[in-house]
This record gives sequence, structure tokens and C-alpha cells, in this order.
Amino acid sequence: MTRGTQENMISVLLLAVFGGVLWLCQDFGPRARLIPQPLAVFGIALTLIQLVWHNMGRDTAPAMEMISVDAGAIPGDGEGRPREERTQEQLGRWGEAGAFCIVALLLALVFTTGIFPAVFLFTAGYLVLSGYCTPLRGLAYSVVMTLAIYLLFVGGLEMQPYHGLLGAWFR
Amino acid sequence: MIEAIGSGLAALLTPQALLFLFIGVIYGLVIGILPGLGGVVAMALLLPFTYGFETAATLALLLGAHIATIWGDSVTSILFSVPGSAKGLALCFDGYPMTKQGKAKRALAASATGALMGGIIGAIFLALCIPLIRPVILALGPSEYLMMALWGLTVIATFSEGSLMKGLTASVLGVLVAFIGMDVVTATPRFTFGSEFLMDGISFPVAMIGLFAVSEMMKMSIRGTPIIDRSLVREDSTVWQGICDAVGHWWLVIRSSLLGLWIGVLPGVGASVAGLAAYAQAAQTSKTPERFGKGAVEGVIAPDATMGANEGGGLMPTLAFGIPGGESMAILLVAFIGLGVVPGPEMLTKNLDLVFSMVWIIVLANIAVTVIGLGITPWLARLPSLQANLMVPIVLSVCFVGAYATRGRIEDVVVAAVFGVVGYLMDKYRYSRANFVIGMVLAVMIERNLHISLNLYGNDFLLDRPIALAMLLFVVFTAALPFLRSWRRRRAAGRGA
Repeated sequence: MTRGTQENMISVLLLAVFGGVLWLCQDFGPRARLIPQPLAVFGIALTLIQLVWHNMGRDTAPAMEMISVDAGAIPGDGEGRPREERTQEQLGRWGEAGAFCIVALLLALVFTTGIFPAVFLFTAGYLVLSGYCTPLRGLAYSVVMTLAIYLLFVGGLEMQPYHGLLGAWFR
Repeated sequence: MIEAIGSGLAALLTPQALLFLFIGVIYGLVIGILPGLGGVVAMALLLPFTYGFETAATLALLLGAHIATIWGDSVTSILFSVPGSAKGLALCFDGYPMTKQGKAKRALAASATGALMGGIIGAIFLALCIPLIRPVILALGPSEYLMMALWGLTVIATFSEGSLMKGLTASVLGVLVAFIGMDVVTATPRFTFGSEFLMDGISFPVAMIGLFAVSEMMKMSIRGTPIIDRSLVREDSTVWQGICDAVGHWWLVIRSSLLGLWIGVLPGVGASVAGLAAYAQAAQTSKTPERFGKGAVEGVIAPDATMGANEGGGLMPTLAFGIPGGESMAILLVAFIGLGVVPGPEMLTKNLDLVFSMVWIIVLANIAVTVIGLGITPWLARLPSLQANLMVPIVLSVCFVGAYATRGRIEDVVVAAVFGVVGYLMDKYRYSRANFVIGMVLAVMIERNLHISLNLYGNDFLLDRPIALAMLLFVVFTAALPFLRSWRRRRAAGRGA
């Protein structure tokens, strides 16, 4: 899928979000929708302009002096291409899917085993499977890290830990 | 007054007060570095330990911890582009690019020195302004606060990662996300889909953890390389350079400090707005604004100086009227009640020595934070070169635990994960995450003050409030400024050609 098609899909998704907001606003009183409703209309207008602009091949903004934040300027990058393009080249489709899976896996572990067992399992698994260290070392690092986080949040900050579905089942 | 200044300092020079100040500072630094936890959490957790000690020592513990969290927030923003709380957001814009360029030590030292100078300037001006500031605060109402928030939104026009349309779309999205939950004005549940969890709204620190920390870790896991590859980028800066930077930009520090003091004095505005406003004024008044966002040290100094001074300002309405300047000041009010201190106008007459004790605490805590901060900077600067395979599981785990710890609700972990994916996609397709966050910060302030203004003064409230009208003109001017500058440059370039 080309970058242009992906951009269009994001724009369509945004249109759906703003349209949904507009639709939901109908149920609110005039005061409650005083700001969200016009904002949603503004959002739709902006996205449509962006969509048209992009498909006309003019993906630049109206002329103004902007500050480009989080640009990630690294010395030696003299290729003149935007950072995202280079990153895109470096990323495999699998790499991206893997990143989503990592977050989903940690989330699933938190829900099933509870928050601290999840931290232990995730850290140990990641360190070992990524080849960062040997299984024994990975386990040792994970024990130390989980203990440190536990002491900090539960001992120091008096957080009540979440025990997960397995914890509830064992109880 | 001189006597009160002296007795305020004397109350702090006891072993207990100094020990409590030191403990508070160390504790605050640790809390500040943890994602999602800021000064409010630090102070709230200390409250049970504040009873039965000297008043000055108790305040030293609380305020010391709170002040230290500010620099703790800055550390993670500069090193990892992961703001510990909303206050640290502005530090990501230039601090993180500096880290990537091998200038982490310089950025951290400039940040610590800027915060120290801001804190001292803020405390001095607070001491001088105590008798003068009361009528000024009373002259401002919701309409003026609305204009200030609108000014913050127009600042968005200055921040963008590329397309102006995308930048504005991101800020609209941020404002709309802030409206999720129970509307405080009309008690209408908005965009909650019947979920009890969403009635409380999206927690701001949790959204920040997702948008910045989780998404950065996703990117790092894909790249498989550390934030800084030392074989490509050497850390060639020094702590001394950062100190010199902050001292060399003394005029920027003074301007930013006064801005921070002023925003702190205004009840309910908060340090997160102060940091962004400071960044915007630094960029707008710079002769070379194009360097901002690419590692300009001024972009680090200005927000830190502002946030350092902001705490002094926040004390003013808290002490003088019993109106907390922000959430942390609300916790301080609770501590006052425990200590038997009644905030109000009498604080500025009968209890002036206590007020000056707090001014001194701000100064001493800032000095302690800076000394410790400069001392540990060389070690902190090594963190971004840690292997990705070590960083990703550790930071992701701390982020998820931090998200859960924010409110003790497991749904917040899901929110952090969802915002992580959203943040990743926004970064990939160049929808500014900074704009999104600025929108979120200002949304509630704009809506609340608009409703109050309409209720108090009617639809033509601007005509009744000349100060608000003048501020609106200022907002229009600052919004037009980037376009005007660009137009003038193009015209000058056209003439040159």
C-alpha cells in the first residue's frame, strides 16, 4: 500500500471520528455542545482540505513560520529526505506488527496474571527472546527489576496492585 | 518586612527542617522521573507524614518534594522525549533533539541551572510583589482567563511537524478528547458510551504516557537501536556548557521567570500551560526561530525557568486568598489545615514570617535540586545509549505500572496502550502529538471560563471587560505574527532575488 493511500485512509478515519462526534453532539443540550459541535465541524473542514490538498499533490501548509517539533535532528543525516521516509524504509511491515503485538502482549499479560507477574514475565521474555542476554541472566535481571518496581510503587507509593484474572481465580 | 525575611530564614535553619528539605528533594527527584507521577502525587503521599513536626520542617518536606519533581520531569523529557507529567512537555521539543545530537549533558545542565535561576528570580519577585499583587489578581475574571487560554491555543499555530492542516487537526482532536467524561458545567456525560470509567474522563498523565512513552518504545522496538548510537553520535557536550548557556541567556531567563510567576499567580492555570507559554515566547521573540525544535538550548532554558518561578507565583493566591494556584497548592492548603495555619489576607500581615519561610524553601530547594542535578547529570546522560532490547521492556513495564498507579484503575493501562498506538500513528503520519496535548491541556479551561463569562456578563461579555478585549487583540496579534514574519521574509527574499 502506498504512503498516499495510507494518508487517505487516515483522513477517512478522521472524518468518521469527527462525524461521530457531530452525531453524538445531537444528544447533548445546547450548553454541553457549545464547543464540541463547532469543533467537530472545524475538524471535518480541516480534514477535507487536507484530503484535497494531499491528492492534488500539495502536501505543504500555507506559508507561515512554523516550529518543527520533535524533528529528531541527527548530525550526519545529510540525505535531504524527511526522517519519516527513511524510517519507513527501515521498518519492515513485520517490525511494525511486532511493535503492536508487544504492546498487546503486555496488556494481555497484565489482565491475565496481574500487574507485577506481567512485568516479570514480559521483561524476562523480552530480554531472552531478543537475544539481549542468556536465559539465566534474563531471569535475574527481571527479578531485580520487578522487585525494584514493586518496592517503589507498592512499598513507597502504597499502590494497591492489580491481581488479574488468574489472581481472582486463585482467590 | 526585613524582620519577617530574617525570621523566615531562621525558622528553616534547624536540623529537622534542613533534613526534611533534603529528604523531600531526593524523594521528589525519584517521583519526578517516574512516568505519570508528578508533584501532586509526591505531595499527596507525603501528607500523612506531616503531622507532629515543626511547621517550617513540614513545609520544607512538601515544597522541597514538589520543586524537585519539576526537574525530575524535565530529565525524562530531555533524555527520552517522555514527559513525566504535562509540565515537562515543552522540554521535549528541544531537549530531546539535543540528546540525539550528543548534547544531553549540556541540555540537562542548562535545564537545572535555568530552573534554579527561575526559582530564585520568582522568589525574589514574589517577595517584592506581595503587597502589590492583590488588586491585580482581583481585577481578573473568567473572561480574562478565557483569553489567556485562547492565547495558548493560538500558540498551536506556531508548533507543527509539517502540515499546518495536520497540526490543527491534531489540536482539535486533543480538545475533543479532553471533553470525554462528565461535563462539569452542565453535568452531561459526553462521549462516555455508558462507561462508568469514562465518566471521570481520560487521565491526562495516562494519555501522556501513551502518546509519548509507549509510542517511543514501539518505535525503538522496531528500529532495534538505542536513542543514541554512540558509534555515530558522541556525547561531546559538558555540564559547564549548559551552566554557561543558562547564565548567558539571562534576559530570556528573567522574561521566562516573570511569565512563570505571573501564570502561577493566576489561580487554576497551572505549570503545564506555563511551560508551553514560555517555549512559545522564547520562539516568538528569538531572532532565529527556525532553530527551535531542532535542539536550541533556549527551548530548554525558557520552560525550566518559567516552571521554577511558577511555584513562587502559585503560593500567592494560595496564601493570600486561600485559592489554590493549582492542584499541588490545593494539597498544600490541606497541609495548612493540619498545621493549624489559616490562609487568607492575614497571612500577609500577621504570618508574614511563615510566608517568607516558604519563599526561602523555594530558593533552598531549587539550589539543592540544581546541585544534585548537576552532580548526577554525567550518569543520566548515559541512559539514552542503553541497548533498545533492555530499554523497551523496562520502560514499557514502568509505563504500564505508572499508568495504573495514577488512579489505581486497570482501565488506565488500556488507555495508555491505546494512546500509545495513537501516538505511534500520529508520529508516523506527522500529526503533531504536541498540538494534541496542548489542545487537551487548554480545552477544559476554555470551556469552563467561556460558560462562566456567558453566565456572568452575557453574550457580549467582551464589551463589558476591557482587559479581556485588550487581551483578545493581543491574541489576534500573536496569531498573525508567524504569518506576518513569513510574508516579510518572502518579500525580502523576493527583493533580494
